[in-house]
Amino acid sequence: MGIEKLKTVLKNEKTNNTLILKTPIIGASGTYGYNIEYADFINLDYLGAISTKGITLESRLGNDGDRIFEVQGGMINRIGLENVGIENFIKEKLPVLKEKKIDFLLNIAGNTIEDYEKLALIASQNEIKALEVNVSCPNVKQGCLEFGLNPESLFSLTSKIRKNYKGFLIVKLSPNTSDIKSLAMAAESGGADCISAINTLRGLGVDIKYIGNKFIKKMVQGGLSGSCIKPVALYMVNQIKNAVKIPVIAMGGICKLSDLFEFILAGADAFQIGTANFQTPSICTSLALELCEFMEKNNFYDFETLKGAILNG
Amino acid sequence: MKKDYKGKIELIENIALDTYKMVILSDLRWANPAQFISILCGNKTMRRPFSISDFEKKEKESLTTILFKLKGEGTSYLKNLKKGDEIDFLAPLGNGFKIENKKSLLIGAGIGIAPMLFLKKELNEKNIENFLISGFKNENEIIKGSDKTVIGGSVMDNIEELIKEKNIELIYACGPKVVLKMVDELSTKLNTPSQLALEKVMACSIGVCRGCVIKLIRNNKIQNYSVCKDGPVFFGGEIIWE
Repeated sequence: MGIEKLKTVLKNEKTNNTLILKTPIIGASGTYGYNIEYADFINLDYLGAISTKGITLESRLGNDGDRIFEVQGGMINRIGLENVGIENFIKEKLPVLKEKKIDFLLNIAGNTIEDYEKLALIASQNEIKALEVNVSCPNVKQGCLEFGLNPESLFSLTSKIRKNYKGFLIVKLSPNTSDIKSLAMAAESGGADCISAINTLRGLGVDIKYIGNKFIKKMVQGGLSGSCIKPVALYMVNQIKNAVKIPVIAMGGICKLSDLFEFILAGADAFQIGTANFQTPSICTSLALELCEFMEKNNFYDFETLKGAILNG
Repeated sequence: MKKDYKGKIELIENIALDTYKMVILSDLRWANPAQFISILCGNKTMRRPFSISDFEKKEKESLTTILFKLKGEGTSYLKNLKKGDEIDFLAPLGNGFKIENKKSLLIGAGIGIAPMLFLKKELNEKNIENFLISGFKNENEIIKGSDKTVIGGSVMDNIEELIKEKNIELIYACGPKVVLKMVDELSTKLNTPSQLALEKVMACSIGVCRGCVIKLIRNNKIQNYSVCKDGPVFFGGEIIWE
C-alpha cells in the first residue's frame, strides 16, 4: 500500500525547523516503553515515530503502591516517571533504536530548569532529531507541574532548552489549566517548533465496596487517559491551534479512524496514540493502514490534501 | 513468538461458585505453566491477565484453558460469552516456572490453583514426583485436581510438617500475596528453594507501561521488575514485599 501518501511534514515556518514523519501516527510516551518492546507484535514501519518513555537526568524507580486503576472509558496512572536515566538511555537504548532505524522523539522530564538544560545538551550532543519536553507530568510532586502551568516559567524553560538544543523542539502541554492558549503562546515564543497535547488529566480513581461488615476502599490519584478524555483533548487542540502558528501533535483518547478526522478538524497536524495501545498493541499500524486505505479509495493524493479537504471542504 | 491471537471459545463452564473454566481454540503453538494470556474484555481499557491452567497442542491448532473467578466487569463480560464467540488475546506472556527434576510441592491457594494444574500435568509427564495442595474458603468453591484440599483453614496450616515428611526439594506456589509471602518466608527458613507466581493488575501485559512492577533484590541491587514481562514467576528470597 502507498504509505508514502502519509508522509507528514511538521514545520516551524518562522525558523524552517522541520520534522519529516513517514506517517502522522506516533506512539505516545509511556505507552511504548523504549520503543523496542512492541517489535514482537507489530510492524513498526507504519509509525511516523515513537515517543520514548519520559527520560530524566538520573534513573528513577517511580512510585510505590498501586500504579494503575481502570475507570469507565480509560485509566488512571501514577507510574512516577520510572526510567533508566539519560546516561543509560544513550548507552543501552539509543544504539538499538539506531540499528533498527526506528524514528523517535526523545521525551524528557526534569525537576529543575538545570535538569532540562542538561538533558537538552545531551540530546544535542547525541544528534537526537526531535525532543518532546514533558512540562506537564502530573505525577511528580516537585517541578514538572509548575513549569507547564505558568506562561512565564514555561517561556523561560523553553528558551533555555532552545539555547542548548537546535533540533526539532516539541513542548507537550498539560490540560490541567484554565488557559491553554497562553501556555501554547509562551512555548511558541520561547522557541518551540511544535506543541503536543494533551498530557493526562488529573483524576482520582476510587474503589469502595461493602464486604462483611466493613468498607473496603482504595484511592488512586494520577493522570487520567483513554477515550474518556477525547472531548477535552479536542477542545484543547482547537484552542492551541487558534493561538499559535507552529504545528500541533494531538493526543487524548484516539483509537479509531474517525478520531483522526475529528482531531484534524480541531487543528491536528499529526497524532499520538497512547492508552489504546494497551487494548490493541497493533492499533498504530492498523490506524495508519486504515488511513492510507481511506485516502486511496477516496483519491486524496497526500495527507496535506486530506487535511485541506477536512478543514476547507 | 508473542502475538495477538484471535481464538474461538470451545467451552465455557461454571465449575464452582463464581468460578469458570474457559477453553479457547486458537493457533497458539506453545505455552508453559505459569505463563498467562491477556484477554480483551469488550470495551474495557485494560486487558485481563489469566494464568494458563492447561494447554493441549493439536496438529495445527491448540486448546488453551483458563480458570477465572468473578471479580468485576472484565470477568462478568467473559462469563457471558458463549461457545464459538471470538476471543482476542495476547500470548504466551511472561516466563513460566523453571521446572527442575526435584521432589516438588505445589501450593495453589484459591484460584491460584490454575497454573498448578498445568504444572502438575507437566511434572507427571516428566515423571517428577510431586504433591499438589490447594485451599478454598468453602466447599462450594473447590476446584478439583489436587492431592490434598484444605477447606476453610489456610493452605499453609501444617505445611512445614508436610515438606519435611515428604522430603520436598522445591516449592511452587500461586495465590494471594499473603500466602505467597508465607511460602517465601517458609522457604527461606527451611532453605528449600521456591518459585512464586505473582498476580498484579496490568495495563499493557508486555512490559511497556510499568504499571505492575514489584521490587526485587537481584545481584545485590534493588530494582523494579514487571510482573508481566520479567515474571510472573519470581524466586523465593528475592521479593521485597510491600
